[in-house]
Amino acid sequence: MSDFLAYTVLGVCLGSIYAIAAAGLIVTYTTSGIFNFAHGAVGMLSAIFYWQLHSEQGGWGMNSLLAAIITVGVFAPLVGAFLEIVVIRGLEGTSEITKLVTPVAMLLALNGIATWVWFRDINTPHVPEAFFGLDGAKVFGQFVSYHQMIGVGLSILVAGFLYVLLRKTRLGVTMRATVDDRSLLMLNGGSPTKMSLAAWAIGSSLAGLAGVLLSPQLGNLTVFALTLLVFDAYPSALAGRLRSVPLAYAGAIGIGLVVNYWQWISEAGTKWVAFKTLSSALPALLLFVVLLLLPQDRLRGTVITRTREHFRVPTMPQSFLWGGVMIVTVLMLQALMVNSAVITLSNGIALGLISISLVLLTGYAGEINLAAYTFAGIATIVAWQFDVGPSGNATQTSLSVGAIVLAVLVCAGVGALIALPALRLRGLYLGLATFAFAVVIDVMVIRQAAPIDVNLFGWKFQLNFFTNGSLTVPRPNWFGIDFVKSQRNFLMLMTVLFVIIGIGLIALRRSAFGRMIVAMRDSPAACATLGLNIVQLKLAVFTLSSAIAGLGGLMWAAQQRNLTNQGTFQVFASLTLFMIAVVGGIGYVSGALLAGIFLSVLSVVMPDIFKKLATDYPSLQWLFETGLGNFTKFVGPALVGIGLGKNPSGIANQIMEGFAVLKKATVGVSIWIGITVVLWFLAWRDIIGNWTFAIVTIVLANIAPRIIISIWHDKVKDDLPDSGVEHDDLVGLSRPFNDSDRDRYNAILGITQQGAR
Amino acid sequence: MALLECQDVTIAFGGVRALSGVDIVAHEAAITGLIGPNGAGKTTMFNCITGMLDPNSGSIRLDGKELGKQAPYKRARLGIARTFQRLELFTSLSVRDNIRVAGEIRNRWHKGRINVSQETERILTTLRIDHLGDRLVSEIPTGMARRVEMGRALMTHPRILLLDEPASGQDESETVEFGELLIELAAEGTGILLVEHDVALVMRVCSHIQVLDFGRIIASGSPEEIRSNEQVIAAYLGEEQSE
Repeated sequence: MSDFLAYTVLGVCLGSIYAIAAAGLIVTYTTSGIFNFAHGAVGMLSAIFYWQLHSEQGGWGMNSLLAAIITVGVFAPLVGAFLEIVVIRGLEGTSEITKLVTPVAMLLALNGIATWVWFRDINTPHVPEAFFGLDGAKVFGQFVSYHQMIGVGLSILVAGFLYVLLRKTRLGVTMRATVDDRSLLMLNGGSPTKMSLAAWAIGSSLAGLAGVLLSPQLGNLTVFALTLLVFDAYPSALAGRLRSVPLAYAGAIGIGLVVNYWQWISEAGTKWVAFKTLSSALPALLLFVVLLLLPQDRLRGTVITRTREHFRVPTMPQSFLWGGVMIVTVLMLQALMVNSAVITLSNGIALGLISISLVLLTGYAGEINLAAYTFAGIATIVAWQFDVGPSGNATQTSLSVGAIVLAVLVCAGVGALIALPALRLRGLYLGLATFAFAVVIDVMVIRQAAPIDVNLFGWKFQLNFFTNGSLTVPRPNWFGIDFVKSQRNFLMLMTVLFVIIGIGLIALRRSAFGRMIVAMRDSPAACATLGLNIVQLKLAVFTLSSAIAGLGGLMWAAQQRNLTNQGTFQVFASLTLFMIAVVGGIGYVSGALLAGIFLSVLSVVMPDIFKKLATDYPSLQWLFETGLGNFTKFVGPALVGIGLGKNPSGIANQIMEGFAVLKKATVGVSIWIGITVVLWFLAWRDIIGNWTFAIVTIVLANIAPRIIISIWHDKVKDDLPDSGVEHDDLVGLSRPFNDSDRDRYNAILGITQQGAR
Repeated sequence: MALLECQDVTIAFGGVRALSGVDIVAHEAAITGLIGPNGAGKTTMFNCITGMLDPNSGSIRLDGKELGKQAPYKRARLGIARTFQRLELFTSLSVRDNIRVAGEIRNRWHKGRINVSQETERILTTLRIDHLGDRLVSEIPTGMARRVEMGRALMTHPRILLLDEPASGQDESETVEFGELLIELAAEGTGILLVEHDVALVMRVCSHIQVLDFGRIIASGSPEEIRSNEQVIAAYLGEEQSE
């Protein structure tokens, strides 16, 4: 009984801190309508900032109370306000996907900044300290630290503060009105931007408070562990449907209790030892439970809005043409490339193969999967177990077709299972379910280096997922073509596979099934009233997308060959991939390719270039390696995502629009392609160097369209974005109305000058 | 026997009773009007019939069969189709594809398959929007967009068609043309339940009208009876009638 009481008290203490974090999330969501995925990262950054101010070992040794006040009262709100002003305001008129991706980018940026500033040297410890150290007092006969008591006390204070703020103050009521109807609030003299700013500052302050209070749970601070610690509060916010603070508090206390009871059960005996690690994944598992318990979303109409995203659908001849162009281009490029460059390009296409699963799911269907790498991990483990076996002794060197088929089927099945509880609900919930799934699989499967002995009602067996923490993944060896030793062959195999999947997806998008998917994304309510079972269709799409992610992931793993279980399939990798895929152009197959290549180049090539520059110019090492190199490595991808609000349709769309302008200038385009081929030939024959080829080609790509437009202006002028055609209904708005307008309209309407006057 | 029969339908949101014991009847091959001031509960009634809302009490029957708590997509498969007061179009698709996809969805659940392409063109022509076929729906005027919604609903070959303010956004001549269209449709056997603020249109095309006010039916009868009903005049028609 005393143990039970002890764990109950501990559970309430932990739950109280989760409640603070959840409350912050709710405040931000109810006011700005944006789910702040960066909430955990703000908590993480605040906890590290607090450590910097307060710690005697490595920090500045400031008084803990003063450090906490500065962190929670100044630093965290400033971070929130900064994010709201710089990022969130630019999201007006964008789709739900963009509104989710941008906070994801913020999360990655904050994580990158923290890693860059504090954790470049992983050997330097960052030991957090609790308020009043280990001191405490007995409560109901159980020892409770003062730190925990402070957590409970602050939680109660926060609840009271929020109740008064949201219900009793003008500011709170206005904050709620911002979400209900932004325009109406403005018409009544309110300022939605000010309300949103206040909410983000308050929400971030609460995230910071939760971060500071939770951090002592970790013996040593790490970016990812701290971020995930605050994520543990998300299920409780969902329990309150992201709107009810009291329900979120109840959910938070429940989670705190479950986590502590589980620790008690799993540590008490030896029977459940194998599942001891489950405690760190419990909040994520509870998120699934919450999703199952949430009542089905009422099918309601959505006000027809014109978002800024726009995706063209290529015709089938265009798809085949561009598929062929891609194969020929890769074939020509690899002939020029050194081995390291071939590996970088291969990595890019392999990542593109994973990203392409998101084109179907997110680009076409508007649903979200934040666990693409997790499916890659599952596929890898399944195929490896099938081909190599748990013994770790490879029985064959080739990745078999059977292993691929099995891996793809398992991913499809797992995808369907994961999606099922969330499909009844809105897209955001599915995104969160996949996020939780990624955390669970990472903790429970990927990181299981040692075999787990399972005794299931007398049936004894061993689970051996990631043998000794690393896997050597076989590659295919088909039709007598060696894909194992020849990286170039494997590159071409992946390229052809990408083209096949890409063309398949475009064919699917152009089919009746594709139209239904898009219709479902645009208006689920209308689809239902036409007799479409939306849940069934969503399930089919998610299953297919998971299968593609598994196939792509397996190819990516085979490309890497040697994988470790530390961070390889972590949820943050999936977040980065998802974000970059949206930036690349989530509605386009080419967007997936761009995303893959961009990630590969940004994570390998750019840091390498800066490293080489730092070696060549040692006096500028601080600039090239410490500054630009680390910036590109840690923060670069996230900044690209943050800028999404400015171009929500993605880079692929920009390129497409650019090419669409030139479609009538066939002679000019042919000359451009001809020059590029000649340059390639010269480089291939070593008449010019590869760098010369690369630089001239890039310069040509930038200036050729302008030259073509200026020479063949008559042919392309109608397709130019601003062709100078003035729309009559905009005259008077775009510029003042003048006498010549009046004369022109009189002429059009047949009004005589005399009559007009 | 009535095609659609709603009896004693009541629904409340929090403390507000949006519908209170509402009885509505609609017949095959006839246009039934459902009118009332803003906020009377007309769209809520449509939401209850299509299953987008669960009434607290009452019954809704199609062909005498109780619909109970059937999901919206199941009700659609029984032959209930609707349009929306606030447009619910597939904004990424063209006008033609908006209608076409409805036929493709129908072919998934209906044993009697239709030739989707032919049927799409027929409906585009019938609704006189064939000239807009390749345009994105987000680019066309509201009045035409409402016809697209109606065309989409017609692709399912409904037994009863619920139209929620279909004439709004259409000019006078378009409204007249639209009224004729409705009469043609009803003549082909489709039952139509029409919610519309254009009282002149309702009076012209409906054989029977029911009037909702504050969630209650205050009058029911032929256009002539509605015109002369004191309660209706007070609640809704007011000055327009007295003129």
